[in-house]
Order: sequence, then structure tokens, then C-alpha cells
Amino acid sequence: MKTWLAILGVAAATYLLRASFVLFADPHRFPHRFRQALLYVPPSVLAAIVAPGLLLVDGALDLSLHNPRWIAGAVSIVVTVRTRSVIAAMASGMAALWLLQWALGAT
Amino acid sequence: MLPFGFVAGVAAIGAGLTPLQGMALSVLSFSGIAQLIASQLIAVDSPVAVTVAAASVVSLRFVMYSAALAPHLAHLDRRWRALLAYVMTDQSFALAVQHYAAPGDARHRHWHFLGSAVTLFVSWQAAVLAGIVAGAQVPTTWSLDFAVVLTFIALLVPVVRTRADLGAAVVASAVALFAAGLPYRLALVVASIAGIAVGLGIEARHQRR
Repeated sequence: MKTWLAILGVAAATYLLRASFVLFADPHRFPHRFRQALLYVPPSVLAAIVAPGLLLVDGALDLSLHNPRWIAGAVSIVVTVRTRSVIAAMASGMAALWLLQWALGAT
Repeated sequence: MLPFGFVAGVAAIGAGLTPLQGMALSVLSFSGIAQLIASQLIAVDSPVAVTVAAASVVSLRFVMYSAALAPHLAHLDRRWRALLAYVMTDQSFALAVQHYAAPGDARHRHWHFLGSAVTLFVSWQAAVLAGIVAGAQVPTTWSLDFAVVLTFIALLVPVVRTRADLGAAVVASAVALFAAGLPYRLALVVASIAGIAVGLGIEARHQRR
């Protein structure tokens, strides 16, 4: 029962946040400054998700060669910049990670 | 995105949700990050309010997407807007922004938005279902959770176009790392606000010159 309540609560919250401006607010009343700020939302939010995923190991910053994630992430970023392909981004990143894990495990 | 859905399905089962609950969470919230956070918090038996609050915090970006898309959708009736709000995701937003930025008549582009969003919805739910069926049988040595980070790299790279975008991304990354100890994923929110402020600051400096 509690799990179902949590599921319904999360569903309602995500929907209301998505619907906020599309459904309930008048887009023509946005201040210019607010619209400009929106331009920087995707790079900021996405970077704030990616960076900890690459550089944090058990909550601590790890930029050493023993952390294969940031190296594999860097490979994926370079490949994505060149190809703009989601498939290439994922394939190169996963291949780099598995290779590094294997190499680290072997040494 | 498909490995991300698969991981979200695996995580739901790992958190102790039944397959029906895992699918319900996915169909009703249709957001990988919200699903992952909700699964993590349900697994440790968090109060319902905490689970909902945490999922809301990581979903705040939807408000920004909603505000960015609203001017393009303002001419549509309520049912259309309610439907498009439901299928709005990181990926469908990214596609919609590119699409609405193209020159030409924009009045019928909501059909294109709906088409790409429904395609994403169907493949997402199929991937989650596959993850739920596979359950906990996937070995952790495969590091499938890393695929989630990679999907966000694939989303991040195309949106970094100007020096101000790059500044926003770099500062948001740094703040996200240093604020990582904050509870309830607050680091994401603090880092996002810092990134937005820096992006606006760099843009303002360029305009003055």
C-alpha cells in the first residue's frame, strides 16, 4: 500500500511539473530574463548529472587512473562531439569502461 | 536511452517492487531519473513524502522544459497540451527544441513532437519491461548503470554550443561535485542554479563589448 502511494505521488509530481507552464501558465507573461535563463537549463542540469556519475566513487572525488569511469566518459564525450550519435556515445563509453575494468583487473 | 530503461527496470525489481508496481511507476511517471530515485528510496522504506519530494527535486528540470516549450504549444487546445506534457522527457524535449528552431511554418509541428515522443514512450516502456523481466540476473560487473551516465553525455554534448553554454556546464559540474554531500539530491538543484547564473553572466559580458 505504501509503495503504491509512493508510486502515485511520484507520478502526480512529475506530471504537474511537466504541465506547469504548458498547461497552467501564460507563456506570454514570461519576463525576458526568465526566457534567457531557460537557455542555460539543459547544459547546467545535464552537466550536474554527468559530472558526479563520472568523477564520484562512493561519494568521494576520484580523478585517478583507478577510476575507469571518468576515462570512459571522456572517450564517450570525444566520440559524441565528433559523431553526434547516441549509439556511438554509448557503444564507445561502454566498450572503454569494460576494457579499462578488464585492464585494471588484470594488473 | 534503451539501456537506461533496462537499468530502471532492473533497479525497480532490485528495490523490491513487484513487476506490476515497476511497470506502473514507469508508465505513470515516464522519467528514468525519477524512477531510479523513487526505486532507491522505496528500497530503504523511506516515508512516502520523502520519496515524492526527492523525485520532484530531480524532476524540476521539467518546469524549465515546460516553460521553454509553452510558447510553441500555446495555440493548441487543452487536451493537446495535457497530452504533450505527459510525453515530455529529456529526449523528446531535445528533439522538440531542435524541431521548433527550424525555419518555416510551425503550426503543425506538434504532430512531429507527438510522433517522436510516442516512439520514445513505446521503446522506453519496452526497455523497462525487459529490465523487469531480467530482474536481478544481470551481473553488476557489467556496470550497466554507467549506460545511464552515457545517455546524459549524449544529451549534453549537442546543447553545449556557445562559450556561455560551456561555462554553465563547467560550473554546474564543479558545484555538483562539491555539493554532492547534500541530502535528497539537492546538489543537482544547487549546481543547476549556479550553472544558469554563470551562463547568464557570460552572455551579459559578451553583449556589453
